[in-house]
Amino acid sequence: MTTAEATAREADRIIAARSRTKLMHSAIYLVVLAFVLWSVKTTIVDDTDWARLGSLADVLESISEFVGIDWGLVPNLWEPAIETIMVATLGTLLGVIVCVPAIWFGALNITPYAPITYPLARLMMTLSRSIHEIVWALFFVAAVGLGALAGVLAIAVRSVGFIAKMSAEAIEDLDPKPVEAIRAVGGSDFQVFIYAILPQVLPAMISVIIFEWEINIRRSSVLGLVGAGGLGLVFFRQLNTFNHPGVSTVILAILVLILFGEFVSYYVRKAII
Amino acid sequence: MSILSVKDLKVRYSASGPEILKGVSFEVDADDFFAIIGPSGAGKSTLIRCINRLVEPKSGEITLYGTDVLALNSRGLRKLRRDVGMIFQEFNLVDRMSVMDNVLSGRLGYVGNITALFRLFSKKDISRALSVLDRVGLSDHVDKRADQLSGGQRQRVGIARALMQDPKLLLLDEPTSSLDPKISREVMELIVEIAAEYKMPVLCNIHDVQLAMEFCTKMIGLQDGIKMFDGPTAKMNTKKLDEIYAMEVL
Amino acid sequence: MASSATTHRHSQTRRESPREWRRFKFPESLYRWAGVLLGLVFLSYSIIYLNIPLERFFTMFGRVGALITDRYYPPEIDYVTQPEYLASVWETIQMAYLGGMFGMAMAIPLGWFGSYNMTPHRRFVYPLARFVTMSTRSVHETIWAILFVTILGFGMMAGVLALTMFCIGFAGKLFAEEIEAIDMGPVEAIRATGASELSVMVYAVFPQVRVAFTGIGIYTWDVAFRAATVVGFFGAGGMGWYLKRNVLQIETLRVSAILVSIVVLVLIAEGISAWARARVAKAK
Ligand SMILES: Nc1ncnc2c1ncn2[C@@H]1O[C@H](COP(=O)(O)OP(=O)(O)OP(=O)(O)O)[C@@H](O)[C@H]1O
Ligand SMILES: [Mg+2]
Repeated sequence: MTTAEATAREADRIIAARSRTKLMHSAIYLVVLAFVLWSVKTTIVDDTDWARLGSLADVLESISEFVGIDWGLVPNLWEPAIETIMVATLGTLLGVIVCVPAIWFGALNITPYAPITYPLARLMMTLSRSIHEIVWALFFVAAVGLGALAGVLAIAVRSVGFIAKMSAEAIEDLDPKPVEAIRAVGGSDFQVFIYAILPQVLPAMISVIIFEWEINIRRSSVLGLVGAGGLGLVFFRQLNTFNHPGVSTVILAILVLILFGEFVSYYVRKAII
Repeated sequence: MSILSVKDLKVRYSASGPEILKGVSFEVDADDFFAIIGPSGAGKSTLIRCINRLVEPKSGEITLYGTDVLALNSRGLRKLRRDVGMIFQEFNLVDRMSVMDNVLSGRLGYVGNITALFRLFSKKDISRALSVLDRVGLSDHVDKRADQLSGGQRQRVGIARALMQDPKLLLLDEPTSSLDPKISREVMELIVEIAAEYKMPVLCNIHDVQLAMEFCTKMIGLQDGIKMFDGPTAKMNTKKLDEIYAMEVL
Repeated sequence: MASSATTHRHSQTRRESPREWRRFKFPESLYRWAGVLLGLVFLSYSIIYLNIPLERFFTMFGRVGALITDRYYPPEIDYVTQPEYLASVWETIQMAYLGGMFGMAMAIPLGWFGSYNMTPHRRFVYPLARFVTMSTRSVHETIWAILFVTILGFGMMAGVLALTMFCIGFAGKLFAEEIEAIDMGPVEAIRATGASELSVMVYAVFPQVRVAFTGIGIYTWDVAFRAATVVGFFGAGGMGWYLKRNVLQIETLRVSAILVSIVVLVLIAEGISAWARARVAKAK
């Protein structure tokens, strides 16, 4: 009987503890929810021009305008699609080239002078990653004018951060013995990099580069919106001429392009690794 | 009437793959403690997992307490599973949950989705969990996280979880293979005691023939998906064992 | 096979000159050089096709430098400290927060349905969930923004929805991958107790992925914030609108001030996100 009582008391204690945790969790969720609701009010309820929006039927009608494919547009999509791929590819390649110093400076075990070069490289990587590609494209359009070059540069600069970060991390994790071996035969820093470090991290780097290339197709497909060529420009034109099925067509084309990119990267990855 | 009867059970994992069980039949009575022995890859785990349909057999017949197991829809299957306790070699606890929550999860077959979602277990369930934990000797570890326990203690949590189901049959898939010999013996002793207390039959996959001979009342010997022996433990002998394990020796 | 070929090659190397040595890798070397050649051809063809003026490329660095010092320097910091602009920054944060929340709320079920091991139905639900995540992910956030602006009009609602779409795709894929990497043992154990699939998710899957999901959630929010800084450029609310206005009016000093403010904010967001993720990872 006493054991039963003890069990009952223990059960009460556990139930009390569990409801305390539950209460605390609910409090946290309530705060989150309150902030969500408040944000919904300020951003969506107050900021939306409900008169312009009209009724649900109006919204559905304007959505329905996008349904359909403008087959007439399809032949005109080849060129910008190829352009988009090219911009992505050239941008990725240029990014890889720009990456080399960033990787060299940004891996703690090979950086030439850690107190200065390491933070410098980290800053480069962060800047590159933290600024959106549209902003980079705007900047380069201002610098080199409208056209594919601005797109290539924007893609390149935007890619540096991720590739360099992943590669530098791969280098920091590598096996130090071959490095010592090349040092021991009197290799220079550069030779050490080429003969001891690169071979070890190349597979990882290549896979990062392919991954970034895939993402870059997605990016380069919109750079045309700010004047850097490719499918984005066609998209913009369809939108401005209110050819809404054309807009959907361009979006589908982008999807196809990205699928193509995934396909290619799958096979390249399989062939290389 | 036997409690569980399995007839001509055949299993393939894929249409083109090999047949893993090639027509196994046996019967389990109320007070049986069955050991299923056989070399690695014989299909012991497959056999035991067919009984609560973690593996879907290709053909055959399984009857448990008069229910045709293979004919059940998903609702009926859930009801059946809740009556069948299962204990795993790797314990299969949720490491990041407390011992209490792991044990309570044994009640999931009985409670509704809302209760499960918000963990609103009744006082009755919690008291029951406490007494079950007491029974398996873990009353001091109720609030610990599962990954803070030793192997033997973890398997005890696994046993407690199965007992929470109020099972009418216990399935054990090598319950002691991840434990050292001394702890293995303790865990087996506990299981035998509990099976007697709950008056439920047990089906136990086991690698260690020594343990099987010591604790189990009946035995099934499997080799390459075929039943080679079925009878009381007393009738098992070295010659038959050699036959069953012949593949492994070769 | 490969090792015997290597030793063979080595023994040849010692005896013969380096030029001869290359010949022994004959078939691969041919493929490799063909590949390189093809790459170079594609490269130069692209450069021609895209009309990229290489001469301009090499003088570019000087020009960009000159451009920055002439026109973009010094940034008009006063412009970005005025209350109106700061309000738009706050709006941007709210948009990212809401988009992240809504996106996450949809990405979790999508991650569940789109994970091969846990999906309720492999032939129907799984491909559907995969397709939804894939397509929301493939369409760039700026395109989402433009579409929503076209349908719903200017304002933050379009921005929130665009970011929601972005987060669905971004987090949905990562969530699904995380669920695919769990230990299936506890899943089987909980299933064996007769639990419903929802209970299995709550008891066997969620505890295993909770930490990873939190990390992904924070990271998603961080990336969404980056995107939130620009959706306004297309009329979807937030600070991007100021960017657009000043770009169009060629107020370069203000543009550079806005860019600086974006970089600073994104760096802060990234700092917070990295700190929070490190804490979550430690909490396990
Ligand atoms: N999920 C699965 N898919 C495909 N084949 C499987 C699967 N599970 C088991 N098998 C195969 O079925 C055969 C029997 O496996 P099972 O796990 O039942 O053997 P076992 O007797 O339990 O062996 P052990 O003593 O090693 O646990 C093995 O050949 C195994 O490779
Ligand atoms: Mg087994």
